[in-house]
Amino acid sequence: MASVTLEHVKKVYDNKVTAVHDFNLEIKDKEFVVFVGPSGCGKSTTLRMIAGLEDISGGTLKIGDRVVNDVEPKDRDIAMVFQNYALYPHITVYENMAFSLRLRHMSNEEVHKRVCQAAEILGITEYLGRKPKALSGGQRQRVAIGRAIVRDPAVFLMDEPLSNLDAKLRNQMRAEIILLRKRVDTTFIYVNHDQTEAMTLGDRIVIMKDGYIQQVGTPQEVFDTPVNLFVAGFIGSPQMNFLKAKLIKGADGYSVSLLGASIPLNRDQNEALAGKKIGSQDIILGVRPEHTTVLFGQNTNAIECTINVNEMMGSELHLHLTSQNQDRIIVRLPTVDLTAEQRANLNYGSKLYITFPAKVMHLFDPESEKNLIWG
Amino acid sequence: MSTMKKVPEADVMTDNKSGVAPESKIEKTRSKSGHERRVNTAVYVVLIVMSVVWLTPFVFLVCQSFRSFLNEGGGMVPYVIPQKGFSLDNYKALFIKGFTAKKYLVNDLTLQEFFDTLDGDETLARDNAEAAALLRSAAEGRDPAKDTISSVMSAVQKDESVGQDKRDAASAFMRTVFSAARNQRFENDFRQDFNGRFIPWWTKTFVIGACFSLAVVALCILLKRLNENSDQLYRFRLLIMLGILIAAYLCYVLTIKQQMGYAPAAAGDYVQLGIIFLLFALFSLLAVNSFLKREGKLLQQIPGYPPETAWDKIKKAPVLFLEFLAMFVVMTCALIPTENSDYVGWYGNTLTIALFTAVIQTVIVLSVSYALSRLRFKGRKLIMNVVLVLGLFPGFLSMITLYFLLKSLGMTGPGAVPGLILIYCASSGMGYYISKGFFDTIPKSLDESARIDGATRFQVFLKIIMPLAKPIVIYTVLMAFMGPWGDYVFASYVAFGNVPTYNVAVGLYQWVNVADYQGYFTLFCAGGVLVAVPITALFLALQKYYVEGVTGGAVKG
Amino acid sequence: MTDLDYLKLSKPKKLLYRMGAFFKAIPKKTGHFFANLGKKILRFFKGIGAWFAEVFSTFRDGDWKTRLSYLIMGFGSIARGQWGRGVLFLLFQTVFNVYMFFPDASKSGCFYLAKLSTLGTVETQKINRRTVYGDNSFFILLYGVLTLFFIAAFIYTWYQNIRQNRISEQILKSGHKLKTTKEDVTSLMDEQFHKTLLALPTLGVTVFTILPIIFMILVAFTNFDATHQPPGKLFTWVGWDNFRQLLSTDTESYGGTFRQVLLWTLIWAFFATFLNYFLGMMVAIMINKKGIKLKKVWRTILVMTIAIPQFVSLLYVSKMFAQDGLINAYLMKWGWIQSPIPFWTDPMWARFTVILINVWIGIPYLMLIATGILMNIPADLYESARIDGANAFQMYQKITLPYMLFVTGPYLLTSFTGNINNFNVIFLLSGGKPLSMELSGNAGYTDLLITWLYKMTVNDTNYKLAAVIGILVFVVLAVINLITYNLIPSVKNEEDFQ
Repeated sequence: MASVTLEHVKKVYDNKVTAVHDFNLEIKDKEFVVFVGPSGCGKSTTLRMIAGLEDISGGTLKIGDRVVNDVEPKDRDIAMVFQNYALYPHITVYENMAFSLRLRHMSNEEVHKRVCQAAEILGITEYLGRKPKALSGGQRQRVAIGRAIVRDPAVFLMDEPLSNLDAKLRNQMRAEIILLRKRVDTTFIYVNHDQTEAMTLGDRIVIMKDGYIQQVGTPQEVFDTPVNLFVAGFIGSPQMNFLKAKLIKGADGYSVSLLGASIPLNRDQNEALAGKKIGSQDIILGVRPEHTTVLFGQNTNAIECTINVNEMMGSELHLHLTSQNQDRIIVRLPTVDLTAEQRANLNYGSKLYITFPAKVMHLFDPESEKNLIWG
Repeated sequence: MSTMKKVPEADVMTDNKSGVAPESKIEKTRSKSGHERRVNTAVYVVLIVMSVVWLTPFVFLVCQSFRSFLNEGGGMVPYVIPQKGFSLDNYKALFIKGFTAKKYLVNDLTLQEFFDTLDGDETLARDNAEAAALLRSAAEGRDPAKDTISSVMSAVQKDESVGQDKRDAASAFMRTVFSAARNQRFENDFRQDFNGRFIPWWTKTFVIGACFSLAVVALCILLKRLNENSDQLYRFRLLIMLGILIAAYLCYVLTIKQQMGYAPAAAGDYVQLGIIFLLFALFSLLAVNSFLKREGKLLQQIPGYPPETAWDKIKKAPVLFLEFLAMFVVMTCALIPTENSDYVGWYGNTLTIALFTAVIQTVIVLSVSYALSRLRFKGRKLIMNVVLVLGLFPGFLSMITLYFLLKSLGMTGPGAVPGLILIYCASSGMGYYISKGFFDTIPKSLDESARIDGATRFQVFLKIIMPLAKPIVIYTVLMAFMGPWGDYVFASYVAFGNVPTYNVAVGLYQWVNVADYQGYFTLFCAGGVLVAVPITALFLALQKYYVEGVTGGAVKG
Repeated sequence: MTDLDYLKLSKPKKLLYRMGAFFKAIPKKTGHFFANLGKKILRFFKGIGAWFAEVFSTFRDGDWKTRLSYLIMGFGSIARGQWGRGVLFLLFQTVFNVYMFFPDASKSGCFYLAKLSTLGTVETQKINRRTVYGDNSFFILLYGVLTLFFIAAFIYTWYQNIRQNRISEQILKSGHKLKTTKEDVTSLMDEQFHKTLLALPTLGVTVFTILPIIFMILVAFTNFDATHQPPGKLFTWVGWDNFRQLLSTDTESYGGTFRQVLLWTLIWAFFATFLNYFLGMMVAIMINKKGIKLKKVWRTILVMTIAIPQFVSLLYVSKMFAQDGLINAYLMKWGWIQSPIPFWTDPMWARFTVILINVWIGIPYLMLIATGILMNIPADLYESARIDGANAFQMYQKITLPYMLFVTGPYLLTSFTGNINNFNVIFLLSGGKPLSMELSGNAGYTDLLITWLYKMTVNDTNYKLAAVIGILVFVVLAVINLITYNLIPSVKNEEDFQ
């Protein structure tokens, strides 16, 4: 029940490596924020600084209104779930969950009440007498979460809690975390490297790379309006296609030309580009696989491609295509709409044409890698 | 150089040049079972030969310890082949106060002693009546307390009136009596010491405690195979334990004492032992109770958790065994006085030193390794480097300085026992490598999790790391406990010349290398066996942990 | 040469290349070393400069509480309400002053410090049949070193006291509160827990290891021996004389003996390490071979030599091999030999015997270690080798041995240094015998440097040479360590396994 504010927070290790640069973020009370990014991007370091496990090299960190830079972890009123669960192997599940309460000299009755309550929520009551060794991965995960919720903390930190689970269990636990969040209404900070998880869980997503925040926004925002090449590539699966193209400033507005096709931009885009006084230049064009339209016949303003790989996913096909200048393009093709004949033609080496409307195009500057419109 | 770092691994993986030709492979498969059998036989032969070589010295050691030092012909040739014949003389001698082998090996007796022996043994007197009469007549008029039988004998030898054969017979007869008299003298001393000073009440505890500890250790080894969790095992253990307790109690009070031919068990004996056992029971109960109280009580309230019975509580308490062991040993070491025979004193000294060292050294080593493994602070690397450099200096270099440091603290000579404890413990922090290596393998997230849960670093150490580090704690205790048993150098230097404060190693070394011509060799064997048996039993019982520590240490450095 | 070129080489060539690379790197490394050293020295002096600057600026900028703390340690802390720290500082200062200026002038720190340069000048004399004790060089040296330690500790504490003041001032200025004594105490169980854990061990190591070592290093530069024994006689500084004596090239004096003993020490360490290593490994492989039964029994039998205290087993075995011992007695009884084998009286026999008996003691350790490692070798390595067509011996040669060597690299190193210092085996078995007229300083043919050092200390009370031997052992070990750290990859990697 507290907000978390990071102002110019910085982490420099002893060997002069800077893990986090100038991190600014305000997390509102009861918000679910997900830090996401590739490994080594500083997301875990940031979380550990919030937890108090790493010293803060610069800036201020507030939980609620209190500056906690030099406060010991135990006094920050936080709870944390670790990637490897960090259950104490030598004591029972019950004692694991009661550990923090006992350290706070809570009465036995109170401890018992809280542990049972948490166990009830997570459905692990019958395992309370066991030691962690005797539990399955999912159960351990639950215990780890239970150990955090008995505390009723102001901020709930989770460091890649699902990455040690297999795919099926992970999906299940993901849903449970969403439910849990509804029941224990508090501030969540969740660190993760999997964008799907981030998109499904977070109220807001913080995308990080090399110690810098790339973009902060709701899942929809970061999906629709990625500010740079990295965010665009990181969010969405399969990954966004990046094609070399040219932005041409004509008399009647801007258009994008690539591989013989020319696609005029829409009004919003034109305005944005004109507002930034951008002329004709080379660009990297980003198009999501699900936004392309596949045409089976010859078309004048479409791009000719050759099929390289055909991945059958059941409800849809993922086609890996090669265009003339060897750019690789992935497209998603729902299977319901395909006729048997069309499907039979989707073989290695056969040709097809793709096109996409202006509104799904993301234009990136090849130098700065920024989005020309939103960046 | 840096690019070559990984090369040795690469060698393993890539070097496949020497593949075997397919033809030979087929042939091999055909003859495999026969070949395999031959190889196994060869291995067995080697192993059997090795076992024989490895065990032979110990077998001989035990054999020789049962060969009386009285029969060694004055002990002039001490290391000879063990002969047939079995005697407990060496073991008895270890417990005689003020024992010196000389006293029993001297080749002369007073007339008094001589004739007492003769009178005490009817068959001896009857079979050699003539020779005895000859000596008696020659001894007449002499002072029986002062004159020696040798002087009488030489008088007889010079006496021309007696025939040569008779003189020879007398001489042979006298040698027989010598031997019998020595045995008699030894037996008397032993009885007197055993009856008089050897058995104050705390020593009884020692005897029983030692037997008991051994039995428990042996039992643990025996029962290791059974399933650790089965109720049967626990019940069995409990029964056996009770049985041993009662047996030891009765055995001492009723049997040993009376068998020795001394006063029957008095009411006092029962009371003394009763109090000790009561204390034990109380102590154990308290400890076990506090150990189980919290968990047991709370778990019962959890829905679906089976209610805990009294039996559940008991079976969770293998601690009980360790407690008993520890209590006995502690009491023993606290109460062994210097009034005993040298050997018992040395044993007690060593035990005291070993116990204190085990406790203090373990605390120090674990503290240091925890600090260096888990805590990050300025100067951590410096400390590790300094220790590395210090480790390259030979330990004995500092011996004389240590001696004078201890001397200024009054901890040499008579104060050698605390002095040695201080020496063994003071620098023990330098041996942190192995346990630090172990701590390094415990995931750090456990510490972090506990700290977020509200534990101070001290609580993390005590409540999280210590219970998880059990194997290495046991290893450290074991090593610290065994160390002092074998230390000769510091022990001899610190206790220099002060016999009561020797440890077993110094005492026995002196027997072999300084006084061996006096026939102490078999005594050394007996003393060595008494040291080796409990230590070996302890070691074998805890072998698992030793292996864990040693291999971990070797792999990590 | 690229990595790929390197991989193409045959095994001996690879070794040659690595050796070559090592020696080629020596000049560069030496250069680096001295450059680093220079930098370090420079940094050291800069640090001292900064230190004085800090002490000065703290005085200049500080308030009166801080300034008074320069004289009365802990004053500032007490005045600011941190009485716990303050009292400790004050206590330390008091103890230090009492020690340095003890009323009995001949027992004060200053006295010892003043005499340190001469180690005493007043001889013990007999006047009218009464002994009048003069200076005791031994205590002057010992307590002189102790005083130096104390002074260093005092300067450090004094500086901490000043720094404490400065930090406190800063904290107060920024509007925060200072830690109370109670908080200080609780922090010793938490943030400052390392201080609690390490205080006692550090004190122990300082007094019982570092102090004696420095003392003995200093003794190496004096003439402290049987003829200069305090309290009766004085000893004094002699510079490098003792080193010259021990390292002299003529064969008559200690020089020849030293070379002889050093050579034997290295030979011994080599055999004791590698013989045990390979034999132990073979035994482990035999016991762990598939299809061998009673594995535990074999292991337990071998482990007996570790379990039984060495002074029992080694002393007994040493007597078994004696002239009139069991071995000779049996051999003569069976008529295999006519006269006893001189196990301990012939130099070569004695050396052979100690190495042999050391195998008996040493194999079990290696067997245990090798067993642990053998079990850790991933089974799929063997399976894949078998599919590639390797037979048992090839698998041993190509997988087991390299794996073992790689993993146990650091152990081999510690084991080698351990064997150089393997006192127990030599002392209990042969006691360094057989002695010889050709060797000086009571050394025998099986004496290691360490046992010789022991004899020098205990039997000859030739402390000065004992100290020199100790220093030389250190040098030998340091050299061996440095070389291997640079040559064995796993030793080097071991440093950063964390």
